[in-house]
Amino acid sequence: MSQVKLLSGRELRDMFVAATDWLEKNAPEVDALNVFPVPDGDTGTNMTLTMRSTLEEAFRAPDHSTSAVAEAIAKGALMGARGNSGVILSQIWHGLAKGLAGKELFTGRDFAKALTIASMEAYKGIDNPVEGTILTVAKDMAAAARSQVDNGEDDIMLVVEAAVKAGRESVANTPNLLAVLKEAGVVDAGGQGLYTILEGALHYLKGEVAEAQLGKPGIIVSNVPMLAKTAQMMAADENPYGYCTSFIIKGQELDPDKIRLKLKKKGESLIVVGDKSVVRIHIHSLDPGGVLHMATSLGTVHHVSIQNMDEQHQDFVEAQQGDIPAADIGVIAVVSGEGLASVFTSLGVMAVVPGGRTMNPSTKDLLQAVEAVASDKVIILPNNKNVILAARQVQALTEKTVKIMPTRTIPQGIAALLAFNSELDMETNLQAMKKARLAVKSIAIARAARSTQLGKLQIKRRQPIGFLDGRLVAVADSLVGVLAKTLARLDLAKAEVITVYYQNDSGRLEIGPLIGSLREKYPQLQIELLRGEQPHYNYIVSVE
Amino acid sequence: MVEIITDSICDLPSQLTEQPGITVIPLNILFGKEFYRDGIDLTTEEFYRRQSEGVVIPVTSAPTPSTFAEAYDRLAEATDEILVITISSELSATYKAAVVAIGLMKKRCRVEVVDSRWAISAEGLIVVTAAKAVRAGANLDEVVAVVQRSIRRVDMRATFDTLEYLKRGGRIGAASVLLGSVLNVNPIITIRNGIIHPAGRERSRAKAIDYLCNFAMSYSHIEEMAIEDATTPGDAEELAERLSAKFPKERIYRCKTSPVIGTNTGPHVLVLSLIGDR
Repeated sequence: MSQVKLLSGRELRDMFVAATDWLEKNAPEVDALNVFPVPDGDTGTNMTLTMRSTLEEAFRAPDHSTSAVAEAIAKGALMGARGNSGVILSQIWHGLAKGLAGKELFTGRDFAKALTIASMEAYKGIDNPVEGTILTVAKDMAAAARSQVDNGEDDIMLVVEAAVKAGRESVANTPNLLAVLKEAGVVDAGGQGLYTILEGALHYLKGEVAEAQLGKPGIIVSNVPMLAKTAQMMAADENPYGYCTSFIIKGQELDPDKIRLKLKKKGESLIVVGDKSVVRIHIHSLDPGGVLHMATSLGTVHHVSIQNMDEQHQDFVEAQQGDIPAADIGVIAVVSGEGLASVFTSLGVMAVVPGGRTMNPSTKDLLQAVEAVASDKVIILPNNKNVILAARQVQALTEKTVKIMPTRTIPQGIAALLAFNSELDMETNLQAMKKARLAVKSIAIARAARSTQLGKLQIKRRQPIGFLDGRLVAVADSLVGVLAKTLARLDLAKAEVITVYYQNDSGRLEIGPLIGSLREKYPQLQIELLRGEQPHYNYIVSVE
Repeated sequence: MVEIITDSICDLPSQLTEQPGITVIPLNILFGKEFYRDGIDLTTEEFYRRQSEGVVIPVTSAPTPSTFAEAYDRLAEATDEILVITISSELSATYKAAVVAIGLMKKRCRVEVVDSRWAISAEGLIVVTAAKAVRAGANLDEVVAVVQRSIRRVDMRATFDTLEYLKRGGRIGAASVLLGSVLNVNPIITIRNGIIHPAGRERSRAKAIDYLCNFAMSYSHIEEMAIEDATTPGDAEELAERLSAKFPKERIYRCKTSPVIGTNTGPHVLVLSLIGDR
């Protein structure tokens, strides 16, 4: 795009579209900065929502003249303003519209002038302006834009570029002006938000489409030496914050100045903006009911929002502290057989390493899976005693934290996985998984690979044999017979759940009568049959 | 005296909600074109019978602001302090309706709306502590302080036999990780920061009841407890019995899960809520 000298209302609107998109990308980071006036972590969200409402109205402007679009922008911001920062932002756009009033087209000079009025209006809307906030950033940006124009420059792109550059320095300087920012080790959230908006607009003016689509705005890092981050971010005083109360009064002959005076004693962070017919009010009050009563005497009240800030703050602090690191534990399981793999996947494992016929994946196979999953902390379920050692080798080969839950059988692996809770930390999970692993009984039924003698048991090749927790305990002439024998070694009257993973459909048919008699004999039992498709074992059974 | 208003989600037994000083605003249930008020036009038993027939899938909606405003105006005739305790605003628009209603009131009366951040009997226990504070003579600010403290101290676990209803209702929240199991599992959920979170999963109903039991047993001291079910009073009784060593059975609030919640949980929901110290 070539340099733009004269812009229309349509281009003003498109600047705002680009600015809103750009801000939206940055909203969570801006939220995280939020410590003043109340550290409730919603500045980025509130500013984004305010900008969205601004846009909606901008698209409803009666024509494409600059003044009509600017007025629509101001109206949309006023109606949709959310939170402290949103209301101040709406006041800034109100000033911008004032500065662009009567203009069909606008130049860099017009925009600089409008920015100046915008920053003045922002100060006017607030009862006790505090420096080191969005107000300071607005003022500094306007001053830079104006001095660019005073040097004879009328190109909008260069004017906005100067404002953005000044905004960056101003945001970085906010901790010098506001002690609570310095204590928290952050720059001002509202200031950062406003800067991001102008930066988005600049991308549009420069025609940097790809940059705007693929890039991401950054949080300005201050070079002001920060104090150590405190565990709990607190605003300067520790009084209760009360209720963040905001609403719109519609009426006739409303007087924002008089309303401001009336509400002054009702709370903190008072902002009153608007005109004769619509006034938006934002106040942090311990008595939102009283504020609303006063408001209803002046006109009709709309868009009422009352939020308990002490609670918001509490939530914010909790969200900052707990939970976050724990969420990134991934579980990997060594499993053979499609059906069993889908059981593990459906219960939330991040990767299944095929064991092959022998259930013996290499350390390399396991390492690859560990590196492939998105988590930095990984729990491996070997599900076979011969895999445990290979799994332990992985620990030394990766930078990730790898823990081995030494499950020796598939039922142990499933029980451990069921006990896993992605919202808890590693230690808690390992304990719960261990307990679950040890609480389950595992049965495996297969045909003997060769003739042998084990203790008192004489076994012929191909003869069905039964393992209980890895120990050979039974031999019989049929698969179902050996399963019945193996089950008989357990006190099924005390069991609750039996899950049978059969190898194939004929296995399911054969087992039917046994399951029927078990159900009859032990009515408390919950028996579930699933197609495991596991190699080698005709049946794998868990008893809990 | 402070008047308390809550919503039908709190699942308090009627002997409590029928006491003077507590007003319950019903949420709404729609079976196709038929419209019911929770707990008023539709009994719990009737609801679950119809739900299990499965011909029409019921949907729920929050009370309207005017329903709240009418209640405010009616109560304002006898009091000048009203406290509203609602289901978590993350799960329902009820809180918003209660706040907006302040602007619609015709009478003058101070109204405080508190987002309980909880639901079902956990919300119910918060209401219980508020009602006790009112009976002890607390004013509105004092009761609000009690409620805020209860919100932080209450906890609950709920189990049911499928998450399908919760998923269908769009309220599954972080508990979606429990979905999709090939095995039959009994999910256990809780509420944190106003939304539903997974707490665990058990292979059987019996184990899920063990879980609820162990959860209560892990407390060193319990002040209030509620057990609620929808269609399985036997399970609720078993749980109460097993916990009687920890907490006197006759002091446990026995609640029935309201149809609006049943829409999201299905008929086999079993809930344990308590206020106490670990």
